[in-house]
Amino acid sequence: MTPSGADPAGFVDLGVRVADTLQKLRRAAAVEVGCSAKRAVWSCGKTTLYHYLPLAGPGTTVRAAPPARPILICFALVNRPYILDLQPDRSLVRRLLEAGHTVYLIDWGDADDSDRCTDLEDYLERHLAGCVAQVLASHDLAALDLLGVCQGGVLSLCYTALHPQQVANLVTLTTPVDFHAGDNLLSKWVRDLDADLIGATGNVPGEVLNALFLSLSPVRLAQHKYVRLLASGADQRAVEDFVRMEKWIFDSPPQAAAALAQFVRWFYQENRLVRGTLEIGGRPVNLRAIRQPVLNLYATQDHIVPAAAAAAMERCIGSEDYESCAIDTGHIGMYVSRAAREQIPARITSWLRARA
Amino acid sequence: MSSAFRPEAAFASAAERFFELMKSCGAQSGSAAGAAPDAATLAGSLAGQFEQWLRATQSAGPWFSPGAAGGNSPVGVGAAFNPGAFAPGSSHPGGGSWPFGPLPLGAGAVSGAEGQRSFELITQLAQLQAQLAAHWHEIADSAASQFVARLGSLASGPPTLEGAMKVYEVWVECAESAYGAAVRKDDFARLQSQLANVSAALLVEQRKHAETLARAFGLPTRNEMDALYGQVRELRRELATLARPKETPDKRKGAKRPAAGRKKASRAARAGGRRA
Repeated sequence: MTPSGADPAGFVDLGVRVADTLQKLRRAAAVEVGCSAKRAVWSCGKTTLYHYLPLAGPGTTVRAAPPARPILICFALVNRPYILDLQPDRSLVRRLLEAGHTVYLIDWGDADDSDRCTDLEDYLERHLAGCVAQVLASHDLAALDLLGVCQGGVLSLCYTALHPQQVANLVTLTTPVDFHAGDNLLSKWVRDLDADLIGATGNVPGEVLNALFLSLSPVRLAQHKYVRLLASGADQRAVEDFVRMEKWIFDSPPQAAAALAQFVRWFYQENRLVRGTLEIGGRPVNLRAIRQPVLNLYATQDHIVPAAAAAAMERCIGSEDYESCAIDTGHIGMYVSRAAREQIPARITSWLRARA
Repeated sequence: MSSAFRPEAAFASAAERFFELMKSCGAQSGSAAGAAPDAATLAGSLAGQFEQWLRATQSAGPWFSPGAAGGNSPVGVGAAFNPGAFAPGSSHPGGGSWPFGPLPLGAGAVSGAEGQRSFELITQLAQLQAQLAAHWHEIADSAASQFVARLGSLASGPPTLEGAMKVYEVWVECAESAYGAAVRKDDFARLQSQLANVSAALLVEQRKHAETLARAFGLPTRNEMDALYGQVRELRRELATLARPKETPDKRKGAKRPAAGRKKASRAARAGGRRA
């Protein structure tokens, strides 16, 4: 595999390295994702609410007494939430548990044909509302802390606006608010989409979403990273880390047709959230009704949620206790990069403790 | 898990293309010994490779690919558009449904005006695919020209992996820059939407034929199922309205509920869920 015309000495071990990396990739194929112990406590349709068990055993340290309120993590519909608990050293969930938080997480599951007509009202007022009610009842509280991630942050904003008394503090991570702000390629591409037609064709397979996300930057996302893996001479552990990420990237769940069509039209096309024209189940979603403390974390190099789309939250919500934190990384880097791992859990914990 | 998750294949393919690029550059420097570099030949070769890759992996944009374009895509982007990946019995968690692919119906199932409409949509789709191919050509040409222009500024010397990576990084920058500029143009964005709209319309048209067959065999149709779902939904809403207590704002956020107001999990139960 030596390039002809080049000095073979310069590439002498490259072929060996390819074979070696391939072998490591083969060994890493069955690598596990998701590392913290959890149990299902409630379900509705395909949605499952998980409660992460407190850390125990050797090597685990809980650094503080648990804060009064549990955190409910609301992830996106379009990706799997295990990215937040990918492996012990890349786990936002684990860092929160170590800080003494009680953590719940919503897994929306796999929509099938019986969910074709499940819409955003269902997800918000039955699934998310049910999860919130379950957590509140379990802890005998009137309000919890809500952590919304990406599209789940959009759902969390809507929920908080509709049910402000149930959310004490809101944390958002890579959450778009103004879908027309910044260099939003995704938004540009779907601007002329016939949302009714998409809704009429049925659920959209996860593969289509994977392909859509990769096609935003195909050379980097579908080529460059593999060549970098080759050049880095990664050891087995690094290759396993790589494969875990690959698993997640190619593991988008199918999308319920009605909800996806609404999301495309209402948010991406009509930008209703910032225009104040969004209604869920006949009730207006007014971001000005969000008066509780809000912490907004976003990435400066995000190719899916541009920083400007997330930063727009400040001018839309009614809270006087608003803090934002821009982290110098990309969209996926917000979940797994070193910068994010060092900054995000600590920031969330200290911010919540100050408002306990 | 998506059928596109094939890290070994993706890696092997990326490594192969890396070598291909180095080979093109190496061959170029070889031919350049004592002669002026033939930039046009190099640009042509690189553009060809890149265009071929774009066609294989991005053949239809993220929406539709008649004829399973990109089925040999090693990175999986194109494979994701391959309706064959969603054949009955596949492990696709959505139940094997593929919204934008052809249904397993023979030509005999399509007749009259319905057949005419399907034919028009297929023609329209082919025209859009041709437009997309023109974009790939333009992107590949632009990327190769940018790369050749920058290649001269790279320090030459004995080939090393580090040196090759530097060349490769420049190629990636040029390719992404050319791609990014083209796909942000209004006509490309419009084309993406049109591809999705036409392919969705084609699927809806094909489903009409399937519904006709389902009716003939006394099977419930999708429309009938959706209507039933609508009724269930309305009933659920009415039930929720009847069961929902008036929500009163609690100024003591995070405070314990007053004892009189405790009804554990009742709201969760009203949401239609169940405790695990």
